[in-house]
Amino acid sequence: MIKRNLQTRYPNWFLGPAIFLFGFLFVIPTLTSFYYSLTDWNINRRVITFVGLKNFKELFADIKFRATLSNTLIYSFSVTFARNFLGLLFAIMLNTAFLKGRNLFRVIVFLPYIIAPVVIGYLFTAIYHPVNGILNQTLTFFGLGFLAKDWLNDPSIALFSTIMTDVWRTTGFSMVIYLAGLQAIPHEYYESSDIDGANGFKKLIHITLPLLAPSITVNVVLALIGTMKVFVMILVLTNGGPGYATEVINTYIMSMFSLGLYGSGTAANIILSILIVIIGLPVLLILKKREVEL
Amino acid sequence: MTNKRTITYQTIIYVVCILLSVIVLVPFIMMFVNSFKGIRESALFRISLPKKPTLTNYKTVLSKLYFWRGMRNSLILSISVTLLVNFTGAMAAFVIQRKNGILCKWTYYALFAGIIIPVSIIPTIQLMMQTRIHNTYIGLILFYTAVNLPFTVFLLTGFMKTIPKEIDEAAMIEGCGPFRMFVQLIIPLLKTPLVTSTIVTITAVWNDFSAPFYLISDSKKWPIVISVYNFVSQYYTDWGTVFAFMTLVLLPVIIVYGFLQRYIIAGLTTGAVKG
Repeated sequence: MIKRNLQTRYPNWFLGPAIFLFGFLFVIPTLTSFYYSLTDWNINRRVITFVGLKNFKELFADIKFRATLSNTLIYSFSVTFARNFLGLLFAIMLNTAFLKGRNLFRVIVFLPYIIAPVVIGYLFTAIYHPVNGILNQTLTFFGLGFLAKDWLNDPSIALFSTIMTDVWRTTGFSMVIYLAGLQAIPHEYYESSDIDGANGFKKLIHITLPLLAPSITVNVVLALIGTMKVFVMILVLTNGGPGYATEVINTYIMSMFSLGLYGSGTAANIILSILIVIIGLPVLLILKKREVEL
Repeated sequence: MTNKRTITYQTIIYVVCILLSVIVLVPFIMMFVNSFKGIRESALFRISLPKKPTLTNYKTVLSKLYFWRGMRNSLILSISVTLLVNFTGAMAAFVIQRKNGILCKWTYYALFAGIIIPVSIIPTIQLMMQTRIHNTYIGLILFYTAVNLPFTVFLLTGFMKTIPKEIDEAAMIEGCGPFRMFVQLIIPLLKTPLVTSTIVTITAVWNDFSAPFYLISDSKKWPIVISVYNFVSQYYTDWGTVFAFMTLVLLPVIIVYGFLQRYIIAGLTTGAVKG
């Protein structure tokens, strides 16, 4: 009787809607993408044929795609590093000092995170404008005119400019996570280390950072996964240019798609998935190991 | 001496905070003041009050049908996706956490993979064309639900652990069926993570660009984010009007954020930590 009830209490059909919704437009396309990536599927073909790893070989032989890969990795690692470094720094600063208006500051720096990236992209096109943009105007005003650049059209600096935009957008998010982590650390830890005569730096290394490990894990993994999928920010700011100086995987997939090269585009998509798994997963495991249980 | 040092330290921190706030706010201020300027003056991007303030830009934008349509479409999309994700996600999370079957386990693993792995956009377009839901609201809603479901299930499953099983047993003894138990008992108890999931999903759908960019070609069905993209490519020489458009797009978002900032910040960050 009780056993029968246990079965009916949690019926399997409760999973039905989720399995259908997730299965239909996520699992099926993901699974078929493996097949499509091995075919010559393109806009001119009615019948698609299996070509093995040809798409992947061609992609890796393509200078443009190789640049795309390295741009994506540079973008991802730089944004991840910068937003975590700055986010942690600001969080520690904000946490140690008694500050009036701390919440207002939190609200302000978090603001860009809730704004659509497409709008932010356009705002920064204006800010980076070589002649009238605020960035160059400000640099000139402070006598740093020699630092003024054509931020989005100079191939040597364009990727950096897109990176800075994303750092501007997401540092507040990382900071808030770190701030919450810092506030969860019991005060007694610092007090007893005071008695032992530890200085500020030692406290940071031996107490703050280890106890902050869960927040670091979340922040780093989220940032890595999110930034490797970057698309609209690049599309709006540079559209991959100048040349392919800022081309990332998702903009590359878009250009493959618009050329009607569906097989190659899908292969590039698979490379992105693999990249995210092989970079995201180990980082998650390594950082998880370092976590200290409170 | 220590006192003097703390005061200097506090001052430094204040200065840094103010400087950072300025860096964050400058783009928005630039957008706002220039939205009241004419075509020539706004192209200078100066942070200064307009010489001859004008509302022409706003009139131009508000007279565009696709501004209103975009707002309406985004609203329809984000609300329906949120309802669908929350309801089906809660149903799944409830059974996944309570039961130990193989089906539950594998559903959970598959969903977990869905958090990390990016969508395969080209096969998705193909599948939607074959099933004739490409370029439809229903298609876009189903797509967003698929993409946002994993996170919600993950979050809710984690929270379900804190709800004691004895509650279900008590309800069962009273003769309560599973669906009634879920709706009347479990959903109210899941209120906190459902608020988080709502905030995360609405923000994700409202701000998303790539899905409608690939999946919707009919301009009448574009959400506001695509309208912005399209508007700027049409008016890119007239920054005043572009800024007015963007101000109007951001205004409701910033107002909602102003009122609910505590919940939004907590929702988006604790949601991330739990996920």
